[in-house]
Amino acid sequence: MRKKNLTATIVTVLSVALLLTPIIGAKVQAADKLGWVGPVYKELSASLTKGFKAYYKKTYGKDVDFTGVRPGGWPVAVDKVRLWAGKPDADIFLGAGAPAHELLKDKGLIVPYKPKNWDKVPAEWGGMKVKDGDYYWTCFAPWIVTNLYNQKVLKKLRLPPPKTWNDLLNPIYRGNIVHTLPYASGTMHEAIEILIQAFGEKQAWRYLRLLAAQLARFSTGSTDTTNLVKRGEVPIGVAQPQMNAMAARKDGYPVMDLLPEKTILVPEAVALLKGAPNEAIGKIFLDWLFSADGQKYVLEGRYFAASTDVKFSAWAKQGVGMAKHAKKALGVDSFWDLKVGFIKYDVDVAKKRWDEVNKKYEHEIYRKWGKLKSSLFLIEEVEEEIKEAKAANADVSKADAKIKEARKLFEYDGKFAAARLAAAKARALLVTP
Amino acid sequence: MSRGSISLAAILWLVIAFLVLYPLSILLTESFKIAETGGWGIGNFLEFFQDAYYLKTFGNTLFLSTLVLLTTTVFGVPLAYILARYRHWGKTMFTALILLPIVLPAFAGVFAFIIFFGKYGTVNLLLMEIGLVEKPINFIYGLHGLVFIQSLHMLPFIVLGLSAGFTNIDPSFEEAAEVEGASSFRRFFTVTLPLCTPSYMAGAVLVFLWPFTDWLTPMILGQVDFLPSVAYINIAYHFTDMHRKYMGIVSVTVAAIVCITLFLLARRWVEKRKYTGLSKGTTSEGRVIEPGAWVKSGAYAYMVFIAILVLLIPVVLGLAAFSRTWVFEAFPTNWTLENFRLILLESPGLIKNSFLFSGIALIFGIAFGLPVAYLIVRTRVWGKDALDFVITLMLAFPGIAIGVSYLLAFWKDIPLARYWIIMPLALFARRLPYFLRMAHSSYLQLDPSLEEASEVSGAGKIRTFFSISLPLLLKGVLVGVVMFFIMAFQEISTAVFLYKGGWETLPIGIYLNWHRGMEFGIAAAMAFLMIVITFILLLIISRIGGGVLKAAWGAGEK
Repeated sequence: MRKKNLTATIVTVLSVALLLTPIIGAKVQAADKLGWVGPVYKELSASLTKGFKAYYKKTYGKDVDFTGVRPGGWPVAVDKVRLWAGKPDADIFLGAGAPAHELLKDKGLIVPYKPKNWDKVPAEWGGMKVKDGDYYWTCFAPWIVTNLYNQKVLKKLRLPPPKTWNDLLNPIYRGNIVHTLPYASGTMHEAIEILIQAFGEKQAWRYLRLLAAQLARFSTGSTDTTNLVKRGEVPIGVAQPQMNAMAARKDGYPVMDLLPEKTILVPEAVALLKGAPNEAIGKIFLDWLFSADGQKYVLEGRYFAASTDVKFSAWAKQGVGMAKHAKKALGVDSFWDLKVGFIKYDVDVAKKRWDEVNKKYEHEIYRKWGKLKSSLFLIEEVEEEIKEAKAANADVSKADAKIKEARKLFEYDGKFAAARLAAAKARALLVTP
Repeated sequence: MSRGSISLAAILWLVIAFLVLYPLSILLTESFKIAETGGWGIGNFLEFFQDAYYLKTFGNTLFLSTLVLLTTTVFGVPLAYILARYRHWGKTMFTALILLPIVLPAFAGVFAFIIFFGKYGTVNLLLMEIGLVEKPINFIYGLHGLVFIQSLHMLPFIVLGLSAGFTNIDPSFEEAAEVEGASSFRRFFTVTLPLCTPSYMAGAVLVFLWPFTDWLTPMILGQVDFLPSVAYINIAYHFTDMHRKYMGIVSVTVAAIVCITLFLLARRWVEKRKYTGLSKGTTSEGRVIEPGAWVKSGAYAYMVFIAILVLLIPVVLGLAAFSRTWVFEAFPTNWTLENFRLILLESPGLIKNSFLFSGIALIFGIAFGLPVAYLIVRTRVWGKDALDFVITLMLAFPGIAIGVSYLLAFWKDIPLARYWIIMPLALFARRLPYFLRMAHSSYLQLDPSLEEASEVSGAGKIRTFFSISLPLLLKGVLVGVVMFFIMAFQEISTAVFLYKGGWETLPIGIYLNWHRGMEFGIAAAMAFLMIVITFILLLIISRIGGGVLKAAWGAGEK
C-alpha cells in the first residue's frame, strides 16, 4: 500500500508539472498573432515588429504578437515554405528578390493581395520587375547587388579597392576576399546569375573557379560576410546587399560599397502565404508596410524604402534616424533617383535554374575547394618556371602547350585533378623536353 | 520486487521510450530512407562511405578529434598533477577557473577569441602598434584555431578526471615505489599514471567526442568540412532536397554511432581495468607534495597561463558588452550601457524564455531523476540497469542528433514540436544525465540503514523519504539541480533546430545577433549576462558544498 503511495506521488508530481505548462502557455496567447518567415536581417525584423505592434495597438486597441523565423538566406527561406507545401507555419513571406517570389508564385505557395499604396511602388526599374502585375508580390525595400570592402584594412595592406569583377581576380587580392555559398544567401545566388547572364555560362563558371582560388574562406551567409569585412578579418566581401555598407558605416565601421560594372536591382519583396492561418492580420500588415509609417520603419530597419513618396531629406527632418545615413550612402533623396545601369536580367531563366545553380556551385567548386586551389597554384608555379626557362633561352614549346592545356582543363572544364596532372607533365617537359 | 517499484519503473520507462527511444528510432529509420525511390535500404550509408566529400569530412573529424585529445592531454596532465598534488595558495580558485569552460557555452569562447586573437583583434593590433609585425598574424582561422578553441573548452574534462585520479590513489603505492628506489620520473610513469588511466579515459572519451558534436565552432571559423557542421548545413539549410536531407541524417547518425560506440568501449575498458589494490583507503586530500621553489614558481606560471586563457572569455566579452563598437582598437574606448538596455528592456523575452524553458526542464528533471535514482539504487527491479544505461548514453549523444530526431519525430504524427513545450522537453532529455548522476551518487552515499531504521520504527515509505532520505539527499540533489539548470541554460545544439519565432533563448539570441545579425555588442552583452548568471549559480553550488568538480562530473563516475 505504502509503496503504491510513493508511485502515486511521483505520478502526481509529473502530471502536475505537465499540466501546469499549457496554463502558462495559454496566458501568452491572448494577443492577436502574425507570423513571418523570410531572409530579412534582424535589424529590419526588429524595427518592423516595433512599428507594427505600435500601429496595431493604436488602430485596433489590441496587442499583436508579431513573430518570425529567419531560417537563413533566400534559398533556405524559400525551401522552408516549399516544405510546408501550402500549410505554412507563418503568414507572411518577408524579404527576398524577384526569382524567389516568382518561384513561390509558380508553385502556388503565395496568394495575390494588392496592399494599399501599391501604386506608390514603381512597376519596373532599370529593366527589372519591381512588383508583380498580378499582385502576388510587391517590393518594399529595393537595393542593388554590390561588393564591400574595409577601407581601413585595404589602406593598411596598400591595396586599391577592386572596382570591377575582373579586378577581384588580381593576385594582389588573394586571401583577402570572402563570399558565401549561393544556397546560403540570395545575394550570392544573384551574383552568380548576374555573372552567367552578363558573361555567358562558360565564362561565368571559369570566373567563379578563379575567384574561389582568391578567397580567404567561405562565409556562412551574407551577414557573416559583412561581419568579416566590418571587423577587418577579411577586407573584401563579394555579393552583398547595398544597404549593408550603410548599416556598417552607421555603426562606425569603415566599410564602403562598390557597384561592380555588371549588376542588378534586387526588389526585396513581401507576399502573403497561401493557407496563412492569420490571413486577415497579414493583410493589415501589408497595408501598413507600404504606408508612410511602415516605410519609415523599413528605413529604420536599415533597408532603403520603396515608396516613390520617400524623400530622405524630409524624413530626416521628421526624425527618422536612418534617413540621413541613407541619403549619404546613396547620394540622392530617394532610392529611385539613383542613376545606375543594369544588365539585362531574365527572371524566368533565373527562376528555372534556381536549384541547379546552387547545386552546381556547391558540388563543383565548394566541395572541391582544396583541390581547386592546389591545382591552380601548381599551374601558376609551372607557368612561372616556364617563363624563367624561356628567359634562359630554353626550348619551352612543349611545356608551354601542356600548361595551356592544364589551364583550359582548370578554367573551362573544372577538372582539377586532370589539370594538376597536366601541369605536372608540363613541369616534366621543362626538365626533359 | 514490489508492485510499486514495478509500476514506477514502467512509468519511467514510458517517459524514456517517448522522449529518447522513439525519436532516436525515427532518426535511425529516416537514415535508411532512399530519396529517389521512396523505399528503404542502406544506400545512403554506402554513399556516405563512398562519396569523396562525406568521407573527407569523416576523416577530418577523426583527425580533429585526435588533435584535440592530444592537445588536451599534453596540457592537462601537468595541470591536473599540479592541482591535485602540489600544496599551493589559491587551489580552489585555480580549480574553479580552469573548470570554467565546462559551464560556459562553447560559442561564447569562440566570439571572445575572435575579438582577442582575430586579424584585427587586440593581440594583432598591439603587435602591429609596437612594430613587431607588419601584417596581422592568423591566429585562429584554420585548423590550428579550431584545435585551440575546442581544446580549451574540453581541457576541464581531462583535468577533472586526472586530478580526481591523482587524489584518489592510495599514497602507499607510490611510497612503496619510492622505498624500492624508483626515481620520481619513473614512479610517475610506471605507478601513478597507470593507476590514473581509468579516470583519464572517462574524460578522454568525452573530449574525443566533442568534434563529433560541435557544429558551431567550425562554422564560425570558416572550417565546415567536419561531420556535425556538414550535417547541420544539410539539415538546416535544405528542406525539400530529400536526398540531401537524408544524407544529413546519415551524417548525424554516423556521428552518433561513433560517439556511442567509443563511449561504450571506454566504459568497458575502464570497468575492466579498475585497479583495486589492497588499499586501506586514502585521505580525502590524497598525497600532497610540497614542491621546491623552482618547481613551484613554474607550476604557478603554468596555472596562471591557462587561467588567463580561460579568463579571457569572460573579460573580453565583458569589455565588448559595455562598448558599442569595439573594432580596430586594442581595447574599447566607447563605453555604453545601451546593449544591456536593449536586452533587458526591449527584448526581455529571451531571458524569460531561457529561465522558463530551463526551469520547466528542471521540474521534469527532478520529477523524473529522483525516482530513477531511487529505483536504481534502492530496488532490484528488472531492467533498472538498462534504464541507467540509456540515460547515461545521452551524455555521449550529439545535441544535433537529439534536435534533428525531435524535429522528425514530433512534427507530423505527434505534433509536439509545434508547441513551445518541446523546448523544455528537449532540454530535459538532453541534460538528464547531469541531474541523474548527482542524485544517483547521493543515494549511494546514503546509508540504507537510516531508512530501514525509520521504516522499522513505523514510518511509511513516503514519510521516510521526506523526513529521512530527502534531507540527507538534499545537498547532492541541489548540486545536481543547479548543474542541470546551468547545462540546460547554455544548450544550443538541440534548441537551434526546434526554436520558432518567439521561443528564442539567450544562446540562440547570441547566435542570431552575432552570426546572423550584425550586433556584436548585443551578442557580447548576452553572453556576458549568461556568464554572470552561470557564475552566480556556480557560487551557489560551491556554497552548498558539492564542489563544481563533482557536479560537472557526476560523482558516480570515479
